[in-house]
Amino acid sequence: MILTNSTFIHVGQIHIDIAPKAISTVLGSCVSVCLYDTTLGIGGMNHYLLPFWNGNGLQTPKFGNIAIPKLIETMIAKGAHPNRMKAKIFGGAMMNTTDVSNTMMIGEKNIMVARKILQEYSIEIVAEDIGGQNGRKIQFDLKQGKILLKYASYQNIT
Amino acid sequence: MQYNCNIENKEIIFLSHKILELNKQLIESEKAKSRFLSLVANELNNPMTALLGLIPHLKPDRPEENDIFSLAHQEALLLNFRIQNLVAAAAVESGELEVSHVCVNVESIVHDVVKELHYLIHSKNIIISIHNTLEHSVVSDPHKLHLILKNIIANGCTYGFINGIVDIAISESSSNFTIAINNQGYPPKVEFKPEIFTRFANGPAGEHGLGIGLSIVRELCECMEGSIDYVAANRMVTFTVTLPLLKSTSESDLYDSNEFLFESFDDAIEL
Repeated sequence: MILTNSTFIHVGQIHIDIAPKAISTVLGSCVSVCLYDTTLGIGGMNHYLLPFWNGNGLQTPKFGNIAIPKLIETMIAKGAHPNRMKAKIFGGAMMNTTDVSNTMMIGEKNIMVARKILQEYSIEIVAEDIGGQNGRKIQFDLKQGKILLKYASYQNIT
Repeated sequence: MQYNCNIENKEIIFLSHKILELNKQLIESEKAKSRFLSLVANELNNPMTALLGLIPHLKPDRPEENDIFSLAHQEALLLNFRIQNLVAAAAVESGELEVSHVCVNVESIVHDVVKELHYLIHSKNIIISIHNTLEHSVVSDPHKLHLILKNIIANGCTYGFINGIVDIAISESSSNFTIAINNQGYPPKVEFKPEIFTRFANGPAGEHGLGIGLSIVRELCECMEGSIDYVAANRMVTFTVTLPLLKSTSESDLYDSNEFLFESFDDAIEL
């Protein structure tokens, strides 16, 4: 079921909300980490483009190693507890085999960063749909703590 | 071949792990700067707004004090501009930057910016010339567009020659609208091009892109699915902002950025 009270997030955004709200995004080689505090019903989602911030420009959540700790810290600030948090990760596709992002293995590196950082925070990954060659549309239903996922058909997805 | 490819992939992943470890130290060292940025933005914004509202109502006791009051107002406007940039940088870094979509008249935003920068324009006796071939309103984020233009036009005035001309051209193509800001002045050196849009880039004092303004401009353009670039030649610099053209319709006045990508979740997988 599609939820009408869903907040759509773009690249570099983080959104944290509480049930019965929903958060949604569209992913290509980008990755979204979805966190959920099972007791409080607080959930959050990020959407990052590249694995590492290189020290130039602003420290934006367009980079996995900025976006994931920021998502976790903001969840904690909103009352969630790391011990109760469960993670789901999505995206990291290889959208176009001739694309430069594939030769750089951007999708795979994005996935690696998510796994590594979540492991450091001891947050269990309970579900994932990653890699492949298709874009994804996801909607995080905070009432049930579930993700609705559909493969996207169009190409111009980050 | 397959074997070699697997080895290469493993090496890339191994090196990526290394980069992640090294990057942690960099992030830690930058954390204090980011916290400071956020704190400064929040703590200074409200009193500054109050000051800006009060200063124009102050009446000097003696006529010769008019200049002092005017100077104080100019400095307050300049400080407010810098705080606006810090607030924007903090919002970008927090990941809470949301794009709104409303009908905007690009030329009227340019006029607003020019009005706000009058102190800078007046002090260097710069002529502002506006050419607009975009006759209709577009759907965009007015606040972000305002800050983007304010930074570039302010740079054009700051680094432009005294008595020079800053030329602002607004135009459209099939899918984009562009705002090109051209000023006469010494251009940033070609070797600095990769760093121009980065934060606090190093270089000799007085060069373009040494502060935070252009890094914010780039982030704001990208979050609006646009871009920024510049060309320089013969003591002329042109910064061009390109943004997607969404013509205004009665429906687009109403929609927010959240809705239009999701049409259906029929046959969706539940995880």
